Amino acid sequence: MLALLITATTSCKDYLDINNNPNNPTSATPELVLPQAITGSANIASQYNNYGLHFGGYQANAGGFSGFGLLFNYQLVPDTYNGIWVNTYDNLQDYKYVIDQTEGNPRLVYANSAAKIMTALNYARLVDAFNNVPYTEALQNNANLTPKYDEGPVIYQDLITKLTAAIAAIDAGTSSNALNSSSDPLFGGDMTKWKKFANTIKLRMLVRISGVSSLSAFTTAQFASLDKTLGFITDDAIVNPGYVKDKPNPTWNTWGYSTAGALANSSRIPTKFAFGFYKGQKLVDDWRGSVIYKNFAASTTTPVNQLGNEVNAPTIVTNYSTWYTGTFSSASSIGNALGVLKGPSMGQPLMLAAESYYLQSEAQLKGFIPGDYTTSFNSGITASFTYLYKDVTNAVAKAVAPDVAAYKAANPASYLVNIALATTAAQRLEAIITQKYIAVNMVNSDEGFNEFRRTTYPVTSPTGDAYNNIASLLSTSTRADKLPSRILYPSSEQSLNSGNYKVVNQFTDLIFWDPN
Amino acid sequence: MSKIYLSLLGCLLLLCTQVNAQDRTITGTVTSKDDSSPLPGVTVRVAGSSTGTLTNDRGEYSIDIRPGQNLLFSFVGFLNQEVKSPSGVTNVVLVLDELSLNEVVITAGGLTAQRRELGNQATTIRSQEITQGKATSVAASLSGRVPGLLVQSTSSGVNPSYRLVLRGNRSLTGNNQALVIIDNMISTSDILGNINPEDIDDIQVLNGAGAAALYGSDASNGALIVTTKKGRAGKTEFRIAHTATIEKVSFLPQLQKGFGSGTTPDDVPSYTPYENQQYGPAFDGSMVEIGKPIEDGSIQTVPYSAQNSREDFWKTGLANQTDFSISSGDEKGTFYLSAQHFDQKSTVPGEKYKRYSVRANAVRHISKSLTASFNTNFIANRYDRSSDNANAYQNLLMSPSQVDITKYKNWQTDPFANPNGFYNEYFQNPYFTLANNRERSRNDYFQGNLELRWNPIKPLTFIYRTGISARNLSGKTTVGKFTYSEYTKSISGGSKTDIAGNVADYSGFTTQLVNDLIAEFRTNLTPDISLNLVAGTTFRENSRKDVGVSANGLVIPELYNIGNSLNNPIATEANYKTRQVGLYGDVRLGFKEFLYLHATGRNDWRSVLAKENRSFFYPSVDVSFIATDAIPLLKENAVLESLKLRGGYSQVGQVNLGNSTNLGAYQLLSTFSQAYGYPYTSGAGFTQNNTLVSNNLKPEITKGFEGGLDFELAPMMVSGGVTFYKTNTVDQTISVQTPLSTGYSTLLTNVGEVENKGIESYLRFTPIKTANGFSVEVGGNYTFNKNKVLSLSESANELSISTSGTNSRIIAKVGQPFPLLQVSKYNRDSEGRIIVDGITGYPATNGTFSDLGVTNPPHILGLNSTIKYKDLRFTVLFEYRNGHYIYNAVSTGYDFSGAGIRTAWFNRDRFVIPNSSYLGADGNYIENTNIAVRSGGADFWTDGTRNTTIGENYANSAGFWKLREATLGYDLPKSILSKTRFIQSATISVQGRNLFIWVPKSNLYTDPEYSSNGSDSNAVGFTNLGQTPPARYFGGSLSLTF
Repeated sequence: MLALLITATTSCKDYLDINNNPNNPTSATPELVLPQAITGSANIASQYNNYGLHFGGYQANAGGFSGFGLLFNYQLVPDTYNGIWVNTYDNLQDYKYVIDQTEGNPRLVYANSAAKIMTALNYARLVDAFNNVPYTEALQNNANLTPKYDEGPVIYQDLITKLTAAIAAIDAGTSSNALNSSSDPLFGGDMTKWKKFANTIKLRMLVRISGVSSLSAFTTAQFASLDKTLGFITDDAIVNPGYVKDKPNPTWNTWGYSTAGALANSSRIPTKFAFGFYKGQKLVDDWRGSVIYKNFAASTTTPVNQLGNEVNAPTIVTNYSTWYTGTFSSASSIGNALGVLKGPSMGQPLMLAAESYYLQSEAQLKGFIPGDYTTSFNSGITASFTYLYKDVTNAVAKAVAPDVAAYKAANPASYLVNIALATTAAQRLEAIITQKYIAVNMVNSDEGFNEFRRTTYPVTSPTGDAYNNIASLLSTSTRADKLPSRILYPSSEQSLNSGNYKVVNQFTDLIFWDPN
Repeated sequence: MSKIYLSLLGCLLLLCTQVNAQDRTITGTVTSKDDSSPLPGVTVRVAGSSTGTLTNDRGEYSIDIRPGQNLLFSFVGFLNQEVKSPSGVTNVVLVLDELSLNEVVITAGGLTAQRRELGNQATTIRSQEITQGKATSVAASLSGRVPGLLVQSTSSGVNPSYRLVLRGNRSLTGNNQALVIIDNMISTSDILGNINPEDIDDIQVLNGAGAAALYGSDASNGALIVTTKKGRAGKTEFRIAHTATIEKVSFLPQLQKGFGSGTTPDDVPSYTPYENQQYGPAFDGSMVEIGKPIEDGSIQTVPYSAQNSREDFWKTGLANQTDFSISSGDEKGTFYLSAQHFDQKSTVPGEKYKRYSVRANAVRHISKSLTASFNTNFIANRYDRSSDNANAYQNLLMSPSQVDITKYKNWQTDPFANPNGFYNEYFQNPYFTLANNRERSRNDYFQGNLELRWNPIKPLTFIYRTGISARNLSGKTTVGKFTYSEYTKSISGGSKTDIAGNVADYSGFTTQLVNDLIAEFRTNLTPDISLNLVAGTTFRENSRKDVGVSANGLVIPELYNIGNSLNNPIATEANYKTRQVGLYGDVRLGFKEFLYLHATGRNDWRSVLAKENRSFFYPSVDVSFIATDAIPLLKENAVLESLKLRGGYSQVGQVNLGNSTNLGAYQLLSTFSQAYGYPYTSGAGFTQNNTLVSNNLKPEITKGFEGGLDFELAPMMVSGGVTFYKTNTVDQTISVQTPLSTGYSTLLTNVGEVENKGIESYLRFTPIKTANGFSVEVGGNYTFNKNKVLSLSESANELSISTSGTNSRIIAKVGQPFPLLQVSKYNRDSEGRIIVDGITGYPATNGTFSDLGVTNPPHILGLNSTIKYKDLRFTVLFEYRNGHYIYNAVSTGYDFSGAGIRTAWFNRDRFVIPNSSYLGADGNYIENTNIAVRSGGADFWTDGTRNTTIGENYANSAGFWKLREATLGYDLPKSILSKTRFIQSATISVQGRNLFIWVPKSNLYTDPEYSSNGSDSNAVGFTNLGQTPPARYFGGSLSLTF
């Protein structure tokens, strides 16, 4: 017995050392974390799109469903769209891991810089949705379990500085560990594109705060120091790690079809407000309309509605998402298409080239950067057509130029299409923002909502008909535009970070750059 | 063992039984009065001398005495007997010692002790009590019988799992369930749930950590020590029995029966033939159409009046149980063999369950000093049930009551029952939901252990045990593919989308290997002082593996194979292994059989902890004092038969790193996994997972005191006892939820303290016992538990355990009992009146959580009675629980649908919210007597902010009285049986379980014992529609013994 005990205690060490995890790795290289994080940001972009579809007036309820409740009246609760907060911080933690693992290592400077650029994009999106958010004390793990909220403007300024630094680091870097298509599902390791992307995010942020008087000195200086030689993105910034039918593009999976071929969502159809920019109520756009909307052709009917209208609301076309213009013959046979739902393997845009041009156009219009706003505006329209005419492989499958010309010709009196007809700066801005609103429809709809809040464009009339009222028919909003001004902080912050959590009002509390 | 050693042993034994040549020899057999079986091992002693012997396996003895000497017969559990001046063959019949203090019970480690020696609360449940109600699960039969034990049936359906908690919840997020020991080997609660109750001899419940401390870090929750039946020497018995049990739904939620289909707008309710919501006009008996026309143009017409189909949907269940056992043995050994077949159809249509069990227990006396025994048990269970009961139940509630849903069983052949033609536009036919979403699963349990008991010299015993508990599981869940017809899609738009179908297949195993070596030394240091020393070591290994594959989207309908898919299958794998070594000692000193001091110490080494924290020690001490034996005045008292005072202190550590699946393995390091669809063709992509682990995790420690007394009184055979306890559990290992802005969602760390205080008491007496065989026994037990969270982490005084949307959550909160139920409430003014809008009359939620109360019952009362008259035996068992609360997550099924009774409380008219006020122009709240709600129909009841997200509407007291069990048994008279020549005894019985439940009026929904979080979760206090309505069981049995 004694012998046994002695054996037991001496061999204990080996007997008990069985704690190597056979199920999951306990460490990972930055090159394995970065692509996942970028793809995560693309997925979150799709979630922001959903939020923008709702509040930006793009999407309404279809007939056959009830119980929408707060979706109709905007009586938001902390749970409403709180996924974008939760998932973004989760995503940011992965970038932080990449940055921590690569910081100071010249061989990994590209991965480090890419992670920093994506971090800036994510924080900027958070501020645009929530205003003040945890930033300096965020992602400290154990060290700070209740991070304080930093002011939106402070975060914005710091992000812009960090983007400048990231561009400089890429320029200085001669990385032997270049990114490639495996570690970089956004640009496949093209660092020039990364720099342009960073520069465009800066431009977006600067334009966004260009009206904030307290930041005017900062804004002016930053516009002045923008690297115009580098320029801005000229092609859509699209993430595609290799989406396939089993592992589809998140937007396709949300509004198109499930992996098993079932219709993903049949309770939503386009709003008349958005549809009016295509079908002639506000603008004529058969070209983009017919690749985006099911049954757009004159002889058929696209189901459209106003959010909140439950009286005779049309139902979707059998077997079809209203934003899918391909052919469905069975669950196993769903053809690829053009437009916004191209197919399960389409890439997920983080930012469209069209947006880049409209941002340049506005900055040029306001004199922040040199150049002709008309040229940029027209490039924006062309870029928007180009994106919609791309197939799932990102190849342009239809001639763009003739259709852009036809579009201009079909709206001869509208300065929203032909900006030369605009007579005032306000009209020019309206044209730029309205075209941006059209371009990001079902792609980055949150940008449509952001720019609407900042500029009040496209024009809405709360008393107008469904084609002219951006808001829900059952809105309880106290605002003039009958929309909410923001979403609430999530319930997880309410219960877990209650010391810093703030009760906000979804109608009266504004994002710092929102003058309206 | 060498031969030399054996002969040495023989010499020693010879020395003990020297023979005096002058004496004469007395021989005989010692039997038990109880059942006339021979008693081996009875001490036969010559009075006033040290000469003595033991009876052999046949109960026979032989001893030499001188004339005039007397013989003393003594045996544990029996009264001593003296035979004066015996001669020749002297057969002795020993009488059972009714004084429970002398009863021998099994304690921790499989050691035995007389009850008088125990310093902690322990309860013995005998086989009669376990089997009389014919509960299919042993756990169910324990409910209401054991002071301090909370038995909670967490769901309905076949083979529900039970949550067994002793003395309240100590651990906030860790395991609080009692340790299960079967035949002296650590086992698992799922084996306890599947073991054949007929195989159990008794269950010893050790309430506190002190009593169970020898089991080490698993014992902080107390223990249930299950001993299975052994064969008996000298008697061969065949038993065959059959039980048939009927199951009927006993408690249905309260539903409105006044209104049929209709929805918003509801100023004037209008009838919608295909609507699921029930906010239409009042029933008037006229003929109305339901649904839309099916493809051939036909449409159904029904009277517009309430049908009873939401009650009739639930079937009458039927269970059959057949038992067979053989018990036999001789002087060399005994065996017990049993088999059971159990077959059940539950109240849910199409739900089936089967269980097979075989057992072989054997004991063999290899030599005088060496005994080998083994116990083996194989159990196989098979489930065939729906994986989507919750939705089926919801779909049932989404059926307006003018529709007789029971007509739609044949969904494959009846066009009106088929999803294509089903009248309900938005919700499926519940029969289709049940049939199309299936889960078939199987579990094979094997449990076996071998014990060698070697007694080389009298005071010393070595025990070696090795055992295995294994579970092998597999199953398949399927969702049938369904493609709607073009016609249906064309008239129903988006609300009917095809079901792609899917299949998931999984398998796995769990294995537990245990090796125990124990040395026990029992001696008398002086005639007055006894010493019992134990040293032992234990090695244990647990492993588990799970593999699962699933495929989404079927090609060929009804072919449920992973290969039959449009997509690549998804596969998962998980492996876990943990080990543990324990080393322990146990000392018990007895003084004159009335004072016992007992101390234990154990050191554990656990593989799941970091090296530096792996080893930890914990001690326990207890004392037992038999006042009636120590104090002469009490001894002579004719009323007080016995009085025992006891008390103890213990400290036990629990390693709470994981759950029953992961066994706590590999929790110390954060992990990475592929996410967002990775891997893609472009390569792999990993995310850092969201659990952060503190770098110095230790076991959580429970320190406990207990003290109490047990007494027996002669009049009416009263016995009773009371125990006070207090435990403090510190260094809780908790996954603290952190805001994701920290980068992680949980932090696993040691913080917080929970205190439990309580009283356990029991009282039994026999008020009537007459000579003609009529007797009435009454018993009761009452438990009071009060627990409190004393501290949590520095940064938070709350810890969320489980949430149910924005309506309700279960948390731990400093200064409050645990688990604490919180619900969202109405906006109220300072007088507690509900604030309504001055124009619309609508109330609103205040959007925050308010404390409601604890979800575990502070008060548990069990009452039982046995009435016997000759061969008739009637038993009854009631249980009462109160002081706790429950939240029913059912607002969609009841209020959104309009099926619930609440929605008809005001007859769908506009009404003034009772006890409400509104804000006056002067800023004061004015009593509302006249502002009625804008709508009393769908616009009010289905609305979130006005009704359905206000949690207090669906929370209620979880108190209840239950008639747990009533049985009536009749033993056929021997006079009849003797004519058959081979039937020795026959018993006919009828029995019922959960026959009645009485709940407060506020409980509109279901059995408050249920927990939608399942039996392993501490977050009890939520129910949802996944728990189908509770049932009562009644049945009859016939049992024959040959």
